[in-house]
Amino acid sequence: MAGKVKWVTDIEKSVLINNFEKRGWVQVTENEDWNFYWMSVQTIRNVFSVETGYRLSDDQIVNHFPNHYELTRKDLMVKNIKRYRKELEKEGSPLAEKDENGKYLYLDFVPVTYMLPADYNLFVEEFRKSPSSTWIMKPCGKAQGKGIFLINKLSQIKKWSRDSKTSSFVSQSTKEAYVISLYINNPLLIGGRKFDLRLYVLVSTYRPLRCYMYKLGFCRFCTVKYTPSTSELDNMFVHLTNVAIQKHGEDYNHIHGGKWTVNNLRLYLESTRGKEVTSKLFDEIHWIIVQSLKAVAVNASPSLTSSTANDRILKYNLINDTLNIAVPNGEIPDCKWNKSPPKEVLGNYEILYDEELAQGDGADRELRSRPGQSLGPKGGRSRDSGRTVLTTWK
Amino acid sequence: MLQEESDLSLVIAQIVQKLKGSSLYAQLERQAWASLQRPEIKLESLKEDIKEYFKISGWEKKLQNAVYSELSVFPSPSHPAAPPEHLKEPLVYMRKAQGSWEKRILKSLNSMCTELSIPLARKRPVGEQKELLNKWNEMGTDEPDLSLFRPVYAPKDFLEVLINLRNPNYENGDSLSFRTHLGLIQVPLKVKDIPELKEFFVELGLTTGQLGIDDSTQVPPELFENEHVRIGQKVLAEQDSAAAQQYIRQGSPTALRAELWALILNISSQPEDILYYEQLKTNVIQHDLLVDSLIYKDVKLTASNDDYYFVFEDYLYQVLLCFSRDTSVLGHFAYNSASPPKSYIRGKLGLEEYAVFYPPNASHLWKTLCWVQKITHGVIPFHGFSMYVAPLCFLYHEPSKLYQIFREMYVRFFFRLHSISSHPSGIVSLCLLFETLLQTYLPQLFYHLREIGAQPLRISFKWMVRAFSGYLATDQLLLLWDRILGYNSLEILAVLAAAVFAFRAVNLMEVTSLAAAEAVLADLSTLKVMPLLQIFLFATVT
Repeated sequence: MAGKVKWVTDIEKSVLINNFEKRGWVQVTENEDWNFYWMSVQTIRNVFSVETGYRLSDDQIVNHFPNHYELTRKDLMVKNIKRYRKELEKEGSPLAEKDENGKYLYLDFVPVTYMLPADYNLFVEEFRKSPSSTWIMKPCGKAQGKGIFLINKLSQIKKWSRDSKTSSFVSQSTKEAYVISLYINNPLLIGGRKFDLRLYVLVSTYRPLRCYMYKLGFCRFCTVKYTPSTSELDNMFVHLTNVAIQKHGEDYNHIHGGKWTVNNLRLYLESTRGKEVTSKLFDEIHWIIVQSLKAVAVNASPSLTSSTANDRILKYNLINDTLNIAVPNGEIPDCKWNKSPPKEVLGNYEILYDEELAQGDGADRELRSRPGQSLGPKGGRSRDSGRTVLTTWK
Repeated sequence: MLQEESDLSLVIAQIVQKLKGSSLYAQLERQAWASLQRPEIKLESLKEDIKEYFKISGWEKKLQNAVYSELSVFPSPSHPAAPPEHLKEPLVYMRKAQGSWEKRILKSLNSMCTELSIPLARKRPVGEQKELLNKWNEMGTDEPDLSLFRPVYAPKDFLEVLINLRNPNYENGDSLSFRTHLGLIQVPLKVKDIPELKEFFVELGLTTGQLGIDDSTQVPPELFENEHVRIGQKVLAEQDSAAAQQYIRQGSPTALRAELWALILNISSQPEDILYYEQLKTNVIQHDLLVDSLIYKDVKLTASNDDYYFVFEDYLYQVLLCFSRDTSVLGHFAYNSASPPKSYIRGKLGLEEYAVFYPPNASHLWKTLCWVQKITHGVIPFHGFSMYVAPLCFLYHEPSKLYQIFREMYVRFFFRLHSISSHPSGIVSLCLLFETLLQTYLPQLFYHLREIGAQPLRISFKWMVRAFSGYLATDQLLLLWDRILGYNSLEILAVLAAAVFAFRAVNLMEVTSLAAAEAVLADLSTLKVMPLLQIFLFATVT
């Protein structure tokens, strides 16, 4: 009795509940003594807001870090990365090195972005430098592709300039704040279609940073062929890959939902482009993830709605592996745990970055030549541990 | 000795004859002329110098590859007086069966034509041609009404035909003995047994490194993988077809596969190849064929719903629509026809329907009819046909290259999977090989399945007809097709099918119906092909 983990959730999804029940955990309400609370985003906000002052006790775990929105809200994410880069520069870290044109060599992974309406004037200056470019407007607080549109003329966003001119005390309600970024109009296409990546990353501790990447991430394809032509800027089926948008397109196919596993992607890219370039790509993706996490302490809030049968299975297994890492051996959480979990419980997760291990090796962990070139032994392919480290850098 | 020599010189003469008509010959001639400018070519030793030049510049290698390619498809030696159809298929009853099967398909096609009042072929009006040209790259978005179309046949229809094949010269006798074949195929063809297979597939043995086994994450790459990749790169640098074919028996590294396959199939994208593809594309734009709707339907039903291949839907149309108009393909397996069927054609003369027989004087109409007859007499897509092309989209994304590779794969291998012949890689032999392996080495399983009305071939047939495409994970499928190319044989499909049954034998022994057996074998997507093959051939106690 004393040993069983007590769980609460305010999200009624079978992929969660089945996983709790199969471990023999006990469901309780939030007012009782609980060990594990899988919270919705709203609840997190309420529970950890400054006013409530709620503090977790030593035997309690939740599924989000309190300030997760620092990475999930688009404006905060951009702010954090910009701040992180400046900090590294001030410290004189080699990571913040720039080239002759002032571009960051290793940290240039966010396209030129401005906050609206706050940075409107800065944006206009940049826009005028290359007036034929396309920009993408995204509302800060929304997800699933809602409210996103493309522009290629200043007149299309006049609204934000009016606001910033008329009053300097415009309350920036989260509903109206947007970020505007330079649109990358030559994306990698497969079968002529645009796609994005949905990767699952688990952060178990922030200090030291320990994060895991789920091996079974996937790509989401647009149903319509990509064209950079300006006449199709309004056609969201061409430009946005979110399933929520694509689902309503005429061609959406419910059997496969327009997705590929990341392994498929890797196979395709290696076959058509070669191994070096593909490995470099994946290295860089992992690099971006780790750097973004370092810029802020976060966790993301993945959609738990399953669109296809395969999808349901994937998410069930994902939660299963997540729980195995977060609550090892099904024991009641103890905040004094700080060990790296043994490799057997990783399931389909791979170690993305383990600060402790990286530091323990003594090498200057921040120093790396370029993504893709190995400094030391490539990944841990030893016979005994079977542990694969995803990256060639530390 | 004399006989062998004359056989050899006959073969050489035939190959020379064949190559003389190829573009390679023209290129070599041009190169030879151009080389006269070079300082090292001296008049006194002209022949030797040019030969030396060819060697150094790589042209000799190209010639070698072309000869090797011809040898791969060269028919086995035969009686000099044998007519051409005998070379394609020596057994009369097989030829007859294939002939009547073709007639049946054609009849079915014709009646679909009549039922739906759609012509077999139709010239497109100019407006429609323009429209099609504009959406050439996204034909997948087209949603023609295909509800009335049905595939002309499905693999199981074809299986029924094969089951009823009989050799009229062969008397089995009524008494059952331990030699009696308990499977569905009842023709006596020679198939290999396991000892012979072990010899044939010797490179798949336990002591030889394989991709698909020895490149897994648990194995340090220094043991095999790195060296294998290095050798692969060398083979590609040398551009040696024969070496590539030998090399690929141990599997191809993903990054080298596209080039290796092209080398083995002797495909190099010459301008005339691209032109040829463009010509076919023009045919597609100008004429609409009934067969096109069947292709659309097949792609929509199979590839578009596949987890891996849906992305490439548009490429499939671009390849298959051209393929169905490629008359050079038919030269590879056409049998003599009986009198051609009558067909309806709507053409230049407006919408009037013509029941056309053979007006000897209307030469344009005659040509078109012959062309229609030829193509409809050839490759009629059956349900699942597009899956032959789909995996290739993982390797090639330039349409004319994709087309060439597919066409070569088809005329070397895939056509054997849906035509009736006695060839060791023909589907009849594969079925027999599969059943024999099962009956000989897993007798208990075979007998049990037979007893519950679940003849194993009924389940494995569709795997073999599609060369496992759509059943295996793509990376596994590509490793399997590596070996098809490496051994120049489809027998591995039958061996794999038997290995799958062996792998799931425990579960299969417990089922009590065909449906339950199908369920056990429904999902092959998690299988690792090479370990299965290796265990079945080399590690099972027989």
